[in-house]
Amino acid sequence: MKRWMTRGVVTRGVLLAALALAVALPLLAQVPGPDYGEFNFLGLDRRGAVWIAAQLHLLFAAFVLGVPMFAVVIEAIGMFGGDEKYDKLAKEFTRLLLVAYSATAIWGAILVFFLSTLYPRFWAYLTAIFAPSMWVYAGLFFLESFTLYLYYYGWDAWKKGAAKKVHWCLGIMLNIWGTIVMFIANGWLTYMMSPPEGLTADTAPQTVQLWSAINNATWMPINIHRLLANVVFGGAIVGAYAAYRFLTSRTDEERAHYDWMGYTGNLIAIGALIVLPFAGYWLGREIYEFSQQMGITMMGGFMSWLWIIQAFLIGILFLAGNYYLWIGMGRIPGAERFQPYIKWMLLVLVLGVIVWATPNTMIADRDEIAAMGGIRHPFLQVLGVMSAKNTAVNLMILTTFLSFLMYRRANKDPVVQWARAGTVLQGAAFALCAVVVVFYGVYGYFVTAIVRIGFSVYQVLAVLATILFVIGIDMAMLRGAKSRGEIRWGRMPDRSQYALLILAVTFTWLMGLMGFARSGIRQHWHVYEVIRDTSEQAFTPALGPAATIISICVLIFFALVGFIFWLGGLAERSVYREAEANVKAGQEGRAALGDPMPAPSLGDVD
Amino acid sequence: MTNLKILFTVVATLAVFTFVANVIPQVQSAVPREIVLSADMPPEELAAIGEEIYAGAGGCTACHGLGTRAPDLLGVVGGVCATRVPGQSCKDYLWESLVNPTAYIVEGFDPIMIDQSIVSSQAELWTLVAFLQSQGGEITVNADDFAAALAADAAAASAPPPPVVTDPNQVDAVALITAQGCLACHALGGEGGMVAPPFEELRGQDPAFVREGIVDPMATINEEYSTFAGTMPTIFGDLMSPVELDVLVDFFVGGSGAGAEGGEAPGDAAEVPPDSAGGSR
Repeated sequence: MKRWMTRGVVTRGVLLAALALAVALPLLAQVPGPDYGEFNFLGLDRRGAVWIAAQLHLLFAAFVLGVPMFAVVIEAIGMFGGDEKYDKLAKEFTRLLLVAYSATAIWGAILVFFLSTLYPRFWAYLTAIFAPSMWVYAGLFFLESFTLYLYYYGWDAWKKGAAKKVHWCLGIMLNIWGTIVMFIANGWLTYMMSPPEGLTADTAPQTVQLWSAINNATWMPINIHRLLANVVFGGAIVGAYAAYRFLTSRTDEERAHYDWMGYTGNLIAIGALIVLPFAGYWLGREIYEFSQQMGITMMGGFMSWLWIIQAFLIGILFLAGNYYLWIGMGRIPGAERFQPYIKWMLLVLVLGVIVWATPNTMIADRDEIAAMGGIRHPFLQVLGVMSAKNTAVNLMILTTFLSFLMYRRANKDPVVQWARAGTVLQGAAFALCAVVVVFYGVYGYFVTAIVRIGFSVYQVLAVLATILFVIGIDMAMLRGAKSRGEIRWGRMPDRSQYALLILAVTFTWLMGLMGFARSGIRQHWHVYEVIRDTSEQAFTPALGPAATIISICVLIFFALVGFIFWLGGLAERSVYREAEANVKAGQEGRAALGDPMPAPSLGDVD
Repeated sequence: MTNLKILFTVVATLAVFTFVANVIPQVQSAVPREIVLSADMPPEELAAIGEEIYAGAGGCTACHGLGTRAPDLLGVVGGVCATRVPGQSCKDYLWESLVNPTAYIVEGFDPIMIDQSIVSSQAELWTLVAFLQSQGGEITVNADDFAAALAADAAAASAPPPPVVTDPNQVDAVALITAQGCLACHALGGEGGMVAPPFEELRGQDPAFVREGIVDPMATINEEYSTFAGTMPTIFGDLMSPVELDVLVDFFVGGSGAGAEGGEAPGDAAEVPPDSAGGSR
């Protein structure tokens, strides 16, 4: 009954979205009318309404695209490695998807309604260009949703042998459909940012080539950036789910399971976060290449302070992520030997955050400027430039990787003969990388800007190469390693779980902020320098009001996600209680029969 | 209790982020408006247009209001303009301050402002005067002033263009730099503004890159000065002849700078008069 209900919600959500598309497209593309519809609800104007609907749709969409990626990976680990706990974890991830999927569809439908009624002229313009891709989008949405049903509901039916491999392929298909859906929608929004050359306000939308509209300058960078960001986001939300379940657990068994789940989600989130800046660099470069003006608006114009906020948020992510790992080392036998290093790593991270969050130029009054001795602070101006910031962030990434490495090695003693040499080699790689990063950071002060920008590539490559090199050595070195004791899953203080929650909220808020940056750099244009926004909300708000809207979106999102978590808890808890009852019944039965067989543990249940 | 703690964690985290984003400087991106000027505009409308130019295309806020570069005029200048020079009306004082900025330098500031008639029409200048008068004073710009300015602008637009310089030997690069007001923002030989890269940084650069930077300043932005991006007018390609531009580019990248008297390469031009680029009040 419960499953039927869930399926019904999902189906209705999908149908709602499809219906909205089906009704809105043909009608609004034809009928002339006002440019903008009226909207005022509790002080929320039309732009605010579209903003909130789009942001919530995107957050849920990111979740339902990110989670299947590692559900499939984790299922594969379980399938090929033979460890069933991975399979169970993957299934539990997928269970969260079902309700999240219908929420995605519902917010998508609301967004389409808002766009078609509040921005009818512009929506007609978009549909005139993109209508064929919108139908493909709706079709893929159906495929994706039914693949998800098969994937989840077929989990137990196709559990063994070739059927399991077919089931795993369904998961891959789910990811493929989802990725194509995202790529199509990215084509629409990136067209608004970076339309093809030669378009003017007078260009009839019907004459715009569909493929040239989709394959615009920022399409692929956004695709890659979002793909990675979805993994980060999915990991963070799964981490938050695990934290919620951990904190509300009533048995050690549950706590152990959700502790492990939280660790896995966090590992994936932080791991993907480390490579995300590289996709960001690419996107930024493409924006600059498309339009210097747009690039300057983004980095040096009225949005320049946004990057200080971003630095503040990423600082929190790094600190909270590392904090979680450091606390986690408390439940690993042998981790004590790494404790003395933590304070130094914390120092590097804090200094890194301070440097990264240093503004380059500040708005100050005359007295303040006179006190500083110029428009730039004599000391801070040294730290506020990209040379210092790139150095700081690369050292922070390196430090985070070191935390992970310590965590990984905490309860292991390598037995290979070359263990000492391998450790020395790893240390040398870290040191060399730090020297390269600092060298290019300092050298950057003595060269022109165009040369300096190139240095960031060397710094990034040095860090990436070090990570790959060190982890390669580590994997070889720890093969057959002696254990100092098993990780005591579940033996984590509650504060570690609050760190996971803060990570998830911060990731989500950061997504909202970056979405504002991406959309805001168009300024008063619906389609940059082609279709002008002539509504009264054409101005781009300052960071304060934007932050308020972002916080409202995140709060609504977490309220809904909290409900989904609660639903997930209901389903999962019933399984635990059923197992608990079975265990008790089994014990009583065996006691009555004098059976010496050990009782099944709760870990044996699904 | 646990659920309340979780709720508190989420809400408190969001509250901190929202607070931080609200306490940093708030800059809103306004929508530029197409300005149409006519002789029958009331003073308040002139001042409103002047305010748009002041905060937008005029680039005035790149210096005024920030502190060290130029005094903050808002709310003040309209009340004191009539007392600055005995016998000179507020309107005339402000007009002269715009077209001849070195005439009066407010104590504590450097003469870095360029003649605004290079970048603005006469009618636009009167709107600026009206706006500045409105800052603590009474607007006295009248229809006659404005009608005359519009007529002058129309006459200038229909006048034959000045003779095009075709002989590089007639061009003195340093004089040209001074005349065009480049030192308001760029420095040469240690003298000039600091809101744009010093010209010495152009030495050895690709001439095509330098030429593009003059004609289309937004084509490539120096990261260190990105805060002031958009301040440089895009009119220099029209103000200078191709030959003048060639001489200037040659001078910047380290050539002779041509000119009848010969030019000096960047870095050797310390004798550029410090007040030659205009002033700031």
